[in-house]
Amino acid sequence: MNRRTLLKLAGVSVVAEGLAIACGGAAAPSPSPAAATAAAAAKPTGRISVYSALNESTNNEFVKAFKTAYPGIEVDLLPLAAAGELQTRIKAEKDSPKADIFVGGDRSFHDGLGKDGLLEKYTSPNASAISDAAKDPTGSWTGWYFGIFGFVANTDRLNKEIGGKTPKTWDDLLDPAWKGKLVMPDPVKTGGGYIFLATQVFRFGKDEAKALDYMKKLHPQIAQYVGTAPQGIQLVSQGQFVGGPNWSHDILTEKAKNPGIALAVPENTGYEVGAVSIVKGRPAANLPAAKAFVDWILTKEAGELNVKLSNRVSVRKDVAPAPGAPTLEQVKLVNYEPDFANANKDRLIKAWQAAVGL
Amino acid sequence: MRSLRREPALLVGLLAVAGLVLAFIVYPQVQVVLTPGGGGYVDFFEHGNWQRPLQNSLILTALSTTTAVALGFVYAYAMVYSDMPWKPFFRLVGILPLLSPPFVVAAAYILLFGPRGIVTYGVFGQSPNILGLYGIWGVQTIAFFPFAYQLIADVLSRSDARMEQAARNLGAGAWDVFRSVTLPLTRPGLGAAILTTAIYVLEDFGNPALIGGVFTVLPTQAYGLISGFGDISGASAVSSILLALALGLYVAKIRLDGGRSYVTVSGRASSMPRPPVPRLVTIFSFVACLSLAGLIFLVYGTLIASAVTAHFPTNLTPTSEYFEYLGAHSLSLQNTLVYGLSAASVSALLAVFAGFLVQRGSWRGRRALDFLLIMPAAIPGLFFGLGYVVSFNKPWLDWLDRGVLIIIALTFWNIPVGYQATVAGLRQIDRSIDEAATSLGASSLRGFRDVIVPMLGGSLRVGFVTTFVRAVTTLSLLIFLFTPQTTVATITIFQLVNDFNWGGAAAFTVIDVTMAIIVLVTLAFIGGRRGLALGAARA
Repeated sequence: MNRRTLLKLAGVSVVAEGLAIACGGAAAPSPSPAAATAAAAAKPTGRISVYSALNESTNNEFVKAFKTAYPGIEVDLLPLAAAGELQTRIKAEKDSPKADIFVGGDRSFHDGLGKDGLLEKYTSPNASAISDAAKDPTGSWTGWYFGIFGFVANTDRLNKEIGGKTPKTWDDLLDPAWKGKLVMPDPVKTGGGYIFLATQVFRFGKDEAKALDYMKKLHPQIAQYVGTAPQGIQLVSQGQFVGGPNWSHDILTEKAKNPGIALAVPENTGYEVGAVSIVKGRPAANLPAAKAFVDWILTKEAGELNVKLSNRVSVRKDVAPAPGAPTLEQVKLVNYEPDFANANKDRLIKAWQAAVGL
Repeated sequence: MRSLRREPALLVGLLAVAGLVLAFIVYPQVQVVLTPGGGGYVDFFEHGNWQRPLQNSLILTALSTTTAVALGFVYAYAMVYSDMPWKPFFRLVGILPLLSPPFVVAAAYILLFGPRGIVTYGVFGQSPNILGLYGIWGVQTIAFFPFAYQLIADVLSRSDARMEQAARNLGAGAWDVFRSVTLPLTRPGLGAAILTTAIYVLEDFGNPALIGGVFTVLPTQAYGLISGFGDISGASAVSSILLALALGLYVAKIRLDGGRSYVTVSGRASSMPRPPVPRLVTIFSFVACLSLAGLIFLVYGTLIASAVTAHFPTNLTPTSEYFEYLGAHSLSLQNTLVYGLSAASVSALLAVFAGFLVQRGSWRGRRALDFLLIMPAAIPGLFFGLGYVVSFNKPWLDWLDRGVLIIIALTFWNIPVGYQATVAGLRQIDRSIDEAATSLGASSLRGFRDVIVPMLGGSLRVGFVTTFVRAVTTLSLLIFLFTPQTTVATITIFQLVNDFNWGGAAAFTVIDVTMAIIVLVTLAFIGGRRGLALGAARA
């Protein structure tokens, strides 16, 4: 690429931005059909700031769809696919909050903010369709998707070295054929790795000795514990390792780019509940628009869009899963207790380190 | 430098620098250090997981600093002393590793040298396990040698050829001259290089996170606590351990280089050439630099290949689709350029002025300011940024554009290298030179401007280049500071990586790095022309 093309590209984008501004400006003062005007009159207007831990491609489509549903609301979206960082940022900004909405990321990140009193309580009318397990009883946050822990395999190497069999249970990974061929997120450094460790604890009915014994036997099978969860999928996709436990939606996203990998969901697996919440302390005028965003996120339409774009599973029963994605009925989830997992984090991680000798 | 009482302008300058350091380095960090509270620290040190990461950090710092400084020294010596060809090319190669946005370059190493790496498995049929201590050690050696190279080369280029000529005339051989004259005279640069490299290795997050595997060091542990568990308190405690270690390194360095004099630039002009180095040394220098360049180009070549093929290395169909993200994200590239250039200019000038105040002054509290100007190197970007949000995200500061805050953060986070270069440089310049100006009636500030600054061109360049390059490639510092309007290129890269868009991330990195290189080469070209005038003042 030479400089001229670069300049041309930059020019195109400036023009595109100009157009977008022109269109936005034109659309607001000239509302179209009369029916829409009547509806829009009842709908809140304003400008909200959304902190989003969702994937980049999901963000753009989401904002577009939301603006179609609520033309009167402008959205400033801050994208950062790292919920822990966003949670920290919202905590650090508490003297003068900058976000109206925090969307995406496991419920534990929202729960932490709620317990610190940083979230506005709101129970959306659309939340009635959602099971109690997926929403906060006090209304600080509402769950709207599930992320299910699965298993990624490099098909080529799986066929050649393991005999083509993906694991049906987590115990299958103890098969000697897997020795030194797995890669998984580090329980010390990643939320996903810790969910895997906690899953084992719940799988054995909180018999921690059994769970740690399993992790100890699994240890020689693991070639690497990696520092970020997506890296584990990438390494399997490249064929550096044969397989590994990881997030099933992310595995499907990579599979769309590289068909040479496969997804399996062993039974008694762990999961995250992706949540949405409203941040406290923003101008009162923003609240109706923020509530409208939460209402919209919980609709069937938004659920379907999220499933399509991120391969995650909607909490709504009426939203079909993405092609190839596991449904909640198909997979057998472990009885995961997020509060227990959070409260015992340091202790379990230390026990794991002692058990595997790291 | 005359006493501050007799020069109010100087006093004002000193107070201004001290005020800035207090406001933008000390105050935000105090906020972070205080976050866990007494109970938080007790709890963390009793139950938290820090012993192993601490031990790992110490081992890694010792190993990587040794090899990176050794490599930097060889590179600097080859550049300054040998007559090897292609020096302008090698000058660029010497800063390329600094231009490596996190996530992307480390990933390229795995593509090349992983268990099924293109080189390791594809060419040699080996499956090495590079994730772990040895992997990080190797990658950090390449990643951090540029700091050592720049600081040592700056000092070497100012060393006095007459001393070496004198030694030769007295019958010393090439090796004896090197051992007894050249090497001792580089000590201010070497000390600065070891301290700076060690602190940056200690603080490094990107490489251990991607190459480290289960080898957890303090920064990856701290990031993990925030990113995986939202545990600010524990993470801040880990960050405090890093600060304590940096202080330890600093004290060790002060003890080591004591009160010796390294003056090689005095008032008497010299136009004597350096004694020639043996031919064998030149050949060795050339081969060593060329191999290093080859390795670095292999890494960047992998990135380019990833950017222009559908799914490197499994699907090599050429495509330009990944460059389409440029249009949608031109704002982030533009911001990166503006913030980087602004911060680099301010940071380099401030570093030279602060270095002058500390090294030439005799006022009390110099040591404290000296340490505070080096300390930011030890603060992981995430915590430097966190301190800024906690301190400056206040209702009465809401009018402040976040872009300004980002520039300030980049300026102070990156000040240590330029500052260290200045102090090392000033230790080589005889005080009699600026004293000549002041006894002729010039104020200390005028002497600084008209005499010292022209002689410190190299240090100014080191400060500018380092700050600019780090500003272009940092992610963690800006995670808490960017807004939709002030987003930067590394945020875009991070988003693409997490979207499993490796091609897009590679393409964006290639453009980001190319943009930075164009800027640096343009500036070197402009600076080179004016350098003729500056060069005359140099001994």
